[in-house]
Amino acid sequence: MNYDPPTPAERVLRRYRWLRYVVVLLLLLLAVYYLVFVNQYVVAYRDDLDHFKYGSIGSEPSNGLPILVFKALAVMYRNELGPTGYRRFGMLYETEQSELPIGMSRRIVTGVERVWLNCSVCHVGTYRINLTDKPTFIYGAPSNNLRLYDLLKFFLKVAADPKFNADNLIAAIDSPAVGGHLNFINRLIYRYIVFPRVQQGLMQLSEQFAFLGQQNEDTGGRHYGPYYDWGPGRVDTFNPYKAIQFNFPMDAKHVTETELNGAADFPSIWEQHPRDGMNLHWDGNNSSVDERNLSAALGAGVTPVTVDIAAIKRIRAWIWDLPPPAFPIPSAIDQSEVIRGRQLFAEYCAGCHGMKDATGQYDYDTNRFSGLGQVEALDKIGTDPGRWQSYTQNFAAAQNTLYVGYPWRFSHFRKTVGYANQPLDGIWARSPYLHNGSVPTLRDLLEPVRNRPAKWYRGSDILDTGKVGYRYDGYGSALEDLFVYDTSIPGNSNGGHDGKAYGTELPPADKDALVEYMKTL
Amino acid sequence: MARITDETFLHQDNAALIFSPLKFRHLEVKNRLFRSNLSGMFDEYNGYGGHTRLNWEEKFARGGVGCIISSYTPVAVRGRILIRYAMIDDDDKIPFWREIGKRVHGYDCRFIMQLSHSGRQQDMGGVENMFKKAQSSTSQKDYFHGILAQAMTVTEIREVVEQFAQGARRAKEAGLDGVELHGANGYLITQFLSSGINDRTDDYGGPVENRARFVLEIVRAIRREVGPDFHLQMKINGVDHNDWLYPWKKKGNTLEDTLTICKMLLDDGKGVDAFHISSGSTFPHPRNPPGDISTRALVRWYGGMLASGVRTRFNYAIFSNPVTGRLFRWLWRWRRGKVIEGINAGYSKYLRDEISKIDPSIKFLCTGGFQHAANIAGVIRDGSCDGVSIARPLIANNDLPQILRTANGPIRQKECTYCNKCLVNDLANPLGCYEVSRYDGDTFDEKWENLIKSVMSVFQPPLFR
Repeated sequence: MNYDPPTPAERVLRRYRWLRYVVVLLLLLLAVYYLVFVNQYVVAYRDDLDHFKYGSIGSEPSNGLPILVFKALAVMYRNELGPTGYRRFGMLYETEQSELPIGMSRRIVTGVERVWLNCSVCHVGTYRINLTDKPTFIYGAPSNNLRLYDLLKFFLKVAADPKFNADNLIAAIDSPAVGGHLNFINRLIYRYIVFPRVQQGLMQLSEQFAFLGQQNEDTGGRHYGPYYDWGPGRVDTFNPYKAIQFNFPMDAKHVTETELNGAADFPSIWEQHPRDGMNLHWDGNNSSVDERNLSAALGAGVTPVTVDIAAIKRIRAWIWDLPPPAFPIPSAIDQSEVIRGRQLFAEYCAGCHGMKDATGQYDYDTNRFSGLGQVEALDKIGTDPGRWQSYTQNFAAAQNTLYVGYPWRFSHFRKTVGYANQPLDGIWARSPYLHNGSVPTLRDLLEPVRNRPAKWYRGSDILDTGKVGYRYDGYGSALEDLFVYDTSIPGNSNGGHDGKAYGTELPPADKDALVEYMKTL
Repeated sequence: MARITDETFLHQDNAALIFSPLKFRHLEVKNRLFRSNLSGMFDEYNGYGGHTRLNWEEKFARGGVGCIISSYTPVAVRGRILIRYAMIDDDDKIPFWREIGKRVHGYDCRFIMQLSHSGRQQDMGGVENMFKKAQSSTSQKDYFHGILAQAMTVTEIREVVEQFAQGARRAKEAGLDGVELHGANGYLITQFLSSGINDRTDDYGGPVENRARFVLEIVRAIRREVGPDFHLQMKINGVDHNDWLYPWKKKGNTLEDTLTICKMLLDDGKGVDAFHISSGSTFPHPRNPPGDISTRALVRWYGGMLASGVRTRFNYAIFSNPVTGRLFRWLWRWRRGKVIEGINAGYSKYLRDEISKIDPSIKFLCTGGFQHAANIAGVIRDGSCDGVSIARPLIANNDLPQILRTANGPIRQKECTYCNKCLVNDLANPLGCYEVSRYDGDTFDEKWENLIKSVMSVFQPPLFR
C-alpha cells in the first residue's frame, strides 16, 4: 500500500512532469547548441594596438584553420618551410616564443579554436638600419615582408598533397612542437570532423585559385593565362576577389594577361580621416574609407555574413588619426637641403600629393592641392596598366551588391580612368614606390625610367637612409631568400611618373634635395 | 555513540525506574517522563490562549506523563516563531495559563512553562512583525530560511531580559510549577550563546563567558521576580552542529563551551535547578527532532513561509525538484547520523557527570526520540539523565506512559516512525500524527479517515456544547 500517495492536484502535475522535463531539456540543449555551435568567442584586447595586431575581424568562421592544424602544418612541412615555419612567408612574430604571428587572430567557432588573418598581416612593416639590428615594427605601414603568394601556394600545395591525411595531421598535432595532446575523443573529432573539413576547405580554395596554380595548362578545356608571383609586400587585390567572392571565370577567354597580372603594393593605413572622400585604392575606385575597410577585410578572409563589424570599427577608429611614423634617423636628414627640397616639392609635387604646412602638419586640403586625391588618367601618368585593368566595370558592379540588406551595403565602387594621387605622409616607410612597388627608392623614382633599376631584389627591410627605401642590392640576405623583381614582367613595369612635370629632368642635386625633404614627411 | 539498549534488565526493573518520582530542588514529578515542548497553532492570532490548547495539553496529562513542558511560549510578540501560539507577554494571559495548570494538575501532572524568544528564527512572524527585522545577537540573516535580523542594542537586550523575568512571574502567578528557558535549537538565547552565530564585539559577544551574559542576566532577573524556590530549568544544546546545512558555516559551541555555560548558570546555587539537553543550532535540525524529512510534505506546506525570508524561495525550489529534493533528504539523514533514540544522551551524560561534581542537586533531562522503556531506563540508569522528555512519540501515542508500564514500547505499527510529518504539517494544519501507516484500516482511505479522526480529536470536546 502506498502510504504517501499524491493528491489529485499533484497527480495532474506529475502527469505533465515529463512535459516540463522535455521543455527544460530542450532549453538546455538549445543553450548548449547556442553556446557551442552558434555563439563565437574571441580574445578581446584592451589596447587598440593589440586589437589591431591580434584581434579577430571575423575571418575565421569561413576561412580559418584550427590553431592546432595551423601549427601542425608547419611541423608536417618542415622540409618546405624550414625551421622558422611561417616566418619564411614574412610573417612577423614579436618574439621567438610567440604562438602566432602578427596578423593572425583567434576565434572559437563551433567549439574549435580557429585562426586566420586580420588587417595587420598586410599593414605592419619593419625596418632595420643595420643588418644586425632587431627589426623595428611600423604599425600601419605597408608590409614589406609578407609573401602572401607563397603562403597561398603553400596551402594549395597542402590541399593536393597525399601526405596531408588524418594520420599525419594527428601525429603532427601530438608532436612536442605543437603539443596538442589530443585525447581519444579529440582524436576522433580531428579524424572525422576537423580533418575532412579542413581538406575540403583547402580543396575549394584550390578550385577558386585554379588560375594561380595551373598557369599555361589546359584543364578541363579551360586555359589560364600566365600568372606571376606577387613577391614580398604585394598582393593581387582583385583577381582572387573576383574568383572567391563572385566566381568570375578566370580563364584566358575571359581575362587578358594584363588584367590577370595586377599585383600592387600594400598601402599604409594611417591618417584615414583626411583621406575620407579622396579617391582611395591605387586606382581611386572608392571614396569611402568605411567601404574600403570592409572590402579590404574581405581580402583577409571575412565574408559579409561572418564580418565582425564592431571589431573593424574599432580599427577604423584607431587608424582614423593614427600619425605616420617619423623618419628614424633624424641625423641622416641634411637640413640645409630640406629647405630647397621643400621649395622644389611645392613646385613639382605638392599639387598632386599635398605637403606639410608652416606648422609642420601635413596639409591634406584638396582645395589647396587641386590634384590631391584625384584620379590621374592612365595615359597621362603612364604607370603600369595591370592593376588598373584588373579592376573592371563588371567587377565594380558586382562589388556594389556586397552587403546587400545591410546599411553598409557597398555603393561607391566605380571604374576610373587611371591611378589616384595620394598624400605622401610617412612616405619613407612606404617603399618601394608606385602602385606596383616597381621603384625601390624615392631617389630612383626621380630618375627617368631608363635609369631606374630594371631588375632588383625586393623584400629587404634594411633602410637606405640616403635614397630612402629598402635596400635592393640583396645585401644581408641568403641567395635563396631573394626575390628578383623583374620590371619586364606583366604588371611590374616601372614606367610612368616620368618627365619634366615629375621632376625626373631636374639636376641630381635638386633630386637629392627633394629626397631630403621627403624624409621629413 | 551506540544505540542505547540494555537487555540485561527486566521490563519490571525498567518500569520501576521510569515510574519512580523525580525530585528537583523545588519540584517533585511523579515519574521520569516529561512531555517535551510541542506547539500547534491552536490559539488566538494575537496570543490569547484558546480552548483547543486546553484539550491539547489535557491529552498528555491524561496519558500519564509526569510533567508537561509547555509549548514554545513567546515572552513578547516579537519573539514568536509562528502565529496562533499562546503567549505570556502580558498579565492578561495569566487566566488562560491558570486554567491550563488546573486541567493538568487534575491528573497529578506538573506543568512547566517554556519561556521563549525566537530571535531571528522567526518562521512566521505574523502581521505584527511584518515590517520589522527580527531581533538577534547578530545582523547576519538566518542561513536556513534567510530571515533578516538586526543585532539588538544593549537597551533592547535589557528589555528582553525583563520580558523573560515578567514571563516567569506570570507563570508563577498562574500557579504553574516552574519555567524553562528555551536556550537550545537556535532561538534567541542560542543566538547569543553560539560561537557560530554571535558575532558581537561588545560585552555580549566574544568569549563564552560574554556570550552567556545574556542568559545569566535572564536567570538572575527571573530569580528576582520569582524567588529562589520556584523551579527554573534551562534547555540547552550539548553541541551546536551549526554547519549541518552549509559546511562552510562555523561549527558553533562545543560540549566544553556548553559545560562552561552550565556552570555559570548554576550561579553559586542561586541559578537554575535543572538542565534539559538537546542539540542543533537551528530548528528544525537533522539532530532535532531527529528523524527523516518529507520533501513532499515540505512542498505542500512550506509555502506559508515563502514571505518570511530571502532564501525560502530557493529552499522551495530545492524541495520541489525531484533531484535536489532527494539530495536534501539525503543530507538531512546523513547529518543526523545513525542514532535517533537517545541521540543526545552522550552529551547529557558528560554534562551531568561534570555538573554533579559541583552540585549533585542539579537534575538533567534529555530529549531525542525516546519511546522504549529499555532505552529510557538505560539512560537514567547510566547517569546520562534523570528523566527524558518526549515529543513526537507522545503525539503518536498520547498514552505512551501507560504502554511503557506494561511493555517496552508500542507495537511496531504504532511506533513513532520519526518521519517528522507532524513538524512540517504544523506550518499549516492541526498538530498531530500524519504518518498514515500507523493507522488502522485495510485501505488507504480507511487509514486516512482514522488519521483525520485522530488529528481532529484535539478539538474534542468543542467549546460550545
